[in-house]
Amino acid sequence: MYVLDGICKVFDGRTFAVRDLDLKIRRGERVALIGPSGAGKTTLFRILNLTIPPTSGTLLFDGLESRHFSGRRLRDVRRRIGTIYQQHNLVPRLQVVHNVLSGKLGSWSVWQAVQSLIRPAELDLALGALKQVGIANKLYERTETLSGGQQQRVAIARLLVQNPEVILADEPVSSVDPTLAAGIVRLLIDLSETHCKTLLMNLHSVDLAFAHFPRLIGLKNGTISFDLPAAAVTDEHLAALYAGSGTEAAEEEIVSRAEPSFGRSCQPHLTG
Amino acid sequence: MQSRHSVAPVSLTLPARRHSTFRIVWSILFILTFLGSYRLAQVKPLLLLEPEGRRNIRTFVTGMFPPDLSWEFVSLLGRPIIETIQLSLMGTFMAIVIGLPLGLLATRSLTFTGILNEWEIVDSRPSVFLLRKGTYLLARAILSLFRTIPEFVWAFMFVRAVGLGPFPGVLAIGISYGGMLGKVYSEILEHVNPGPLEALQTTGASRVTVLFYGLLPQALPNLVSYTLYRWECAIRASTILGFVGAGGIGQQLEISMRMFNFNQVLTLVAILFVMVAGVDTLSARIRHAILDRSVD
Amino acid sequence: MRNLMVAGGILALMVWSYVGTEFSLRELLGGESAIQMLAYVRKLFPPDLSTQFLLKTGYWALETFAMSFLGTILAILIACSLVFLSSRNLMFAGLLFDMERSRPWVRVLRTLLCFSAKAVLNLLRTIPHLVWALILVFAVGLGPFPGMLALGIHTGGVLGRLFGEVIENVEVQPIEALQATGAGRLQILFYGILPQVLPECVAYTLYRWEVNIREAVILGYVGAGGLGQQIQIAISLFLEHRLLTLILAIYLIVTAVDALSAYLRSRMA
Repeated sequence: MYVLDGICKVFDGRTFAVRDLDLKIRRGERVALIGPSGAGKTTLFRILNLTIPPTSGTLLFDGLESRHFSGRRLRDVRRRIGTIYQQHNLVPRLQVVHNVLSGKLGSWSVWQAVQSLIRPAELDLALGALKQVGIANKLYERTETLSGGQQQRVAIARLLVQNPEVILADEPVSSVDPTLAAGIVRLLIDLSETHCKTLLMNLHSVDLAFAHFPRLIGLKNGTISFDLPAAAVTDEHLAALYAGSGTEAAEEEIVSRAEPSFGRSCQPHLTG
Repeated sequence: MQSRHSVAPVSLTLPARRHSTFRIVWSILFILTFLGSYRLAQVKPLLLLEPEGRRNIRTFVTGMFPPDLSWEFVSLLGRPIIETIQLSLMGTFMAIVIGLPLGLLATRSLTFTGILNEWEIVDSRPSVFLLRKGTYLLARAILSLFRTIPEFVWAFMFVRAVGLGPFPGVLAIGISYGGMLGKVYSEILEHVNPGPLEALQTTGASRVTVLFYGLLPQALPNLVSYTLYRWECAIRASTILGFVGAGGIGQQLEISMRMFNFNQVLTLVAILFVMVAGVDTLSARIRHAILDRSVD
Repeated sequence: MRNLMVAGGILALMVWSYVGTEFSLRELLGGESAIQMLAYVRKLFPPDLSTQFLLKTGYWALETFAMSFLGTILAILIACSLVFLSSRNLMFAGLLFDMERSRPWVRVLRTLLCFSAKAVLNLLRTIPHLVWALILVFAVGLGPFPGMLALGIHTGGVLGRLFGEVIENVEVQPIEALQATGAGRLQILFYGILPQVLPECVAYTLYRWEVNIREAVILGYVGAGGLGQQIQIAISLFLEHRLLTLILAIYLIVTAVDALSAYLRSRMA
């Protein structure tokens, strides 16, 4: 799905966020990205979902060179890539239904989009998606009135409506309470399994990564520290990854690894 | 498992869409007001396209070029420009003198509610409370009278009462801006963090001491910043006051307009532009300096 | 030391403007001027409350109201037609253009368009209402119509700048997310930008309406009808009792508009 060759991203002409990155991701693969904060994970995701162009290197998406994307073609490719952000990715004053349906903007014309703001188009699509994440009753609420966890589920509903081939999830659960977090990760994984969608997830919690992903990539200082099957990742790898990144992050990892596995407690939220 | 994650039409009772009566009522009111206003204001867009209107605009615009930069005209302007600046400054000073005391009296948290008055409310006789509340209401009424009557009407009346010149202009700006400053001062003071005031009061400080040590220091950056903003407005206003004979550059503008000397009008508008822009930048600088210092 | 200098500077300014404006405290507090002012105030009473005049005053007040109302609406139209062109983040810079690989001349054209829209807004804004009114009265004749146009043109410039600031400072994360779903720029405008900026823009517009009702009175002086024109007539012809009635009408209508605008703003928030 993705082939990255020598990707660099430089901010302000001197700060390297991503340096000489080579990466191949196959269709339908599930990959977790882990690493200390400031490792360039978010920048990498913004390059992968075609928000910012790389400073140098080549990015192939489905065999197409990203350099040639522009205008309508760029939008068509963006439509095939869905992104879940850490937070703040919804329009606060818009009703939930419009935020969910904005997943359709890539395929709608401007006119259709404006009409939908007055009278929601494809309402059953939005409702179905919201039902799937368990908050169908919030359809006409203003998004800003929802809690953080509910907003993240609205974001997932938007992703469902967008129905992309690739899902990029950038720390989707770091602003959500732990029980709900597991449920959200589970939902995204199920989605990729059942519909053979490629899933890339930035994770703060190494534990979640081990539990759900067959392939782990460690990112540090904008370069790949390791890229291995989950079974092959050892404590030495992790220690090297987090070395020198401050005790706080390392401690957090240890604490999160010590947490018990996720039980059924989260299920009612998401199936309800 | 599978069916759970494919997006399929669902049979679920739809949550009702909200139709707010607020919106409907106000939309109807808006349309009615619009239609009524349209009739009342004698709107005739075609007037702009009629040959006469077009000719007039052309006369005006071509008459403006080239601007009159002759020495005899420009040398006339030095005095009015300085006068305009002086008028705005003196008017603002007077507005502070009027606005500050009235503003303090119109501050609820100083006169009859809030922590500074908790004890008195319980303690004192109702007559004292009524007196305090009465003062507050009176101060507010005066402020609102001062600021709702536009400065130009004040100026007009003062010119009638004390004669032509910048003096009535100063009075007009002082009074109408005093009303605005007073109202905003009281709003700023009412929103000051009450914690430090409470602490001061427990030390046995009197109301006046609390005012000087707790209230004003906290509110000062905002008070100064708003006063500066009003000074910017005063520069603009003092150009208008000239029209009714209250001095400044507006007087010259009116004369040039009356004499159909549009090239002079252009010069004057350009000068006005430079003055307003200059004052805007200056006051923005001062404001930034004050606000930055207060953050440290 | 620094404070002393500031205080000295302010004092110097005060003295300078005190002398320059022929201001006189003594005059104000007890001299000839004070007596004249009192005499003038006494002449104002009682207000002319005859039914006939009250009816006329009501009509003029409505005329002034209509001028401010339509002027504000015209201002919204002018501001909205220019503000999107004048917003850098919609025209050529920032997130929405990071991946754009359009030809250089397209980019230059967009930049130019943006700056010329900004320039037009600045021009509208910096020329005061009164000057606009003078020009327009000259062009289309006396009456509230030129007054309304003058208010609309000047306020259009003011609102255009205010709206532009709101749009350029809009929260970008939701917009990044919309763009990542493949939304086009116009769609992002409707889904991401307008919903975010609308409440603030409405509040600004209502504030300007409050300003405009006062300005509408002033414009009457140069022949734009309404209460202002009548005030000019009353003062020039020494009709002091009528003047007081007119002033009361101004007080009422300005207070009413302030209250209405405050109510609407509180409902929007």
